[in-house]
Amino acid sequence: MAIKNPFKRQLTMAPRLQRLSGLSLFAGLTRGELRIIDGMLHQRDYLDGEVVFDEGEEGQALYIILEGAIEIRRQLSEEGVVLSVLKGGAFFGDMALLDAAPRSAQARAASSCSLAVFFREDFLGLMDTHARIASKISLQIARQMGARVRQSAGERSPVRQQL
Amino acid sequence: MSASTTYSTDSAILLRRSVRQDAGPFVWAVILVATCVLLLVFQKMLWLVVPMLLGLILYYLLVGFLSPLIYWGRTRESAAAIVMGSFLLVTAGLVLAAVPWVVDHLGDWQALVLRYFDGGLHWILETLRWLESSFSFLRNAGFAEKMSQRMTSGSGDVVSHVEVVLMGAAVWAPSLLLSPFLAFFFLRDGHAFNRFLSHAVPNAFFERTLALMHEIDQTLRAYFVGLIKLTVLDTVSLGLGLWLLGFPGPWVLGLICAVFAWIPYVGSILGGLLVVLVAATDFPTQPTMAYWAIALFGFVRLLDDFVYMPMTIGKSLHMHPLITVVMIFAGGAIAGISGLMLVLPVLGVVMVIGTAVGQIVTDERLMARHRFARELRRSMAARDLRGPK
Repeated sequence: MAIKNPFKRQLTMAPRLQRLSGLSLFAGLTRGELRIIDGMLHQRDYLDGEVVFDEGEEGQALYIILEGAIEIRRQLSEEGVVLSVLKGGAFFGDMALLDAAPRSAQARAASSCSLAVFFREDFLGLMDTHARIASKISLQIARQMGARVRQSAGERSPVRQQL
Repeated sequence: MSASTTYSTDSAILLRRSVRQDAGPFVWAVILVATCVLLLVFQKMLWLVVPMLLGLILYYLLVGFLSPLIYWGRTRESAAAIVMGSFLLVTAGLVLAAVPWVVDHLGDWQALVLRYFDGGLHWILETLRWLESSFSFLRNAGFAEKMSQRMTSGSGDVVSHVEVVLMGAAVWAPSLLLSPFLAFFFLRDGHAFNRFLSHAVPNAFFERTLALMHEIDQTLRAYFVGLIKLTVLDTVSLGLGLWLLGFPGPWVLGLICAVFAWIPYVGSILGGLLVVLVAATDFPTQPTMAYWAIALFGFVRLLDDFVYMPMTIGKSLHMHPLITVVMIFAGGAIAGISGLMLVLPVLGVVMVIGTAVGQIVTDERLMARHRFARELRRSMAARDLRGPK
């Protein structure tokens, strides 16, 4: 009888690999590159209302939504204010990949959800071992940040405010 | 500044404060006691601890070759098998190539060990005689005479000592064969084991646990890989110095002394004594050679402290020097030579775990989040359960 490897369940994640290939963060990565990334990701399940990370907490990882929705909130009042709601395929906490600065907002599950977690030190290690993969991911993060800046500038523009 | 901004800033500062708190005296006491207990346990199971450590060193040396193979389409299992298989093939090739040479020289080496042992004893005897001729109060003690008598009565013991060493090596050999086996499983399943461990951690502590596991990995890697690099640098420096001085077998001597240096403080002294012993045997009429050898050791020790150590092991363990020295002595007292060798990496890992666990347990916010998540899970599990109407 073959001996069952207790860690095998964690090792075989081909469906997740397929799902990863469709995410904007990993756009442009080859199959081999995705396999490297898949080996680095952790998967976590959160219940509706559960806090993923707090505002002000030291950021250690980037999160990718595989299923469900996440609220990004700021504690501007006692109850907190929802800044945005992210759905499957989106990623958040990306600033943590670039520096260890405190989180600028709180992330909380808006429904039961499944997240892939990309640990900062794994990403930094990737820069040494696979600079090509790291640069592709960095480009996607930079694009996301650019989009956020444009969106925020658009919201503040006088013309938009008049509209 | 608006009230809402003030609220946000205050809560953020509070949260940040709760995130990083240095370990207090209680945590440090637990760390030191846990290290001593672990050393005591490790001493009782050295047959497993030593191969584990060697396996870990091998893992850190080979793990860099795994990633390119995975990148080129291999699974982790096959990549680990290829890397370890290649390593074993190269090692087996080197061993096979060395066997005829070792067999040819085995008799010479036994004679060499006996010769150096004899030479060392005579050097000590000559030094004592010289001291007695120089200082009258030593002449009355008659150390040289007593030493000479002991040498005459115990001359047959040298062979038995060598036999004991060889038998010890034969007993340890099967246990050491475990090292490549363990290294292979570290390579193949180490990553999955990390995931397996982190999977068991509640969501609230997950990021902190990832950071903790990374820090443990970095501490061990920095220490063991640094130790190997330091050994190479020491071997080259000592070998070169001994070769320039005209010592026989300078590179082997350098390597032995560099390996001795794995035992903090005591190892360097042992290495120095070994070289002095060789100098006294091979150059009995040139006492200056022994002094040159001592000077070389002093110089390499300085190089170690000011150049090599910062380049290799560096401050990888981030420990206060006083704690390091006290723990080295404690390790020696608790577990002998094995304690001396193991105390620093064990203390390093226990310190990382102790500090991180101390931070998590005292972090009110994390604990509150954990309690909240547990309540959510409980209510979710009991959602469709109703009592009798």
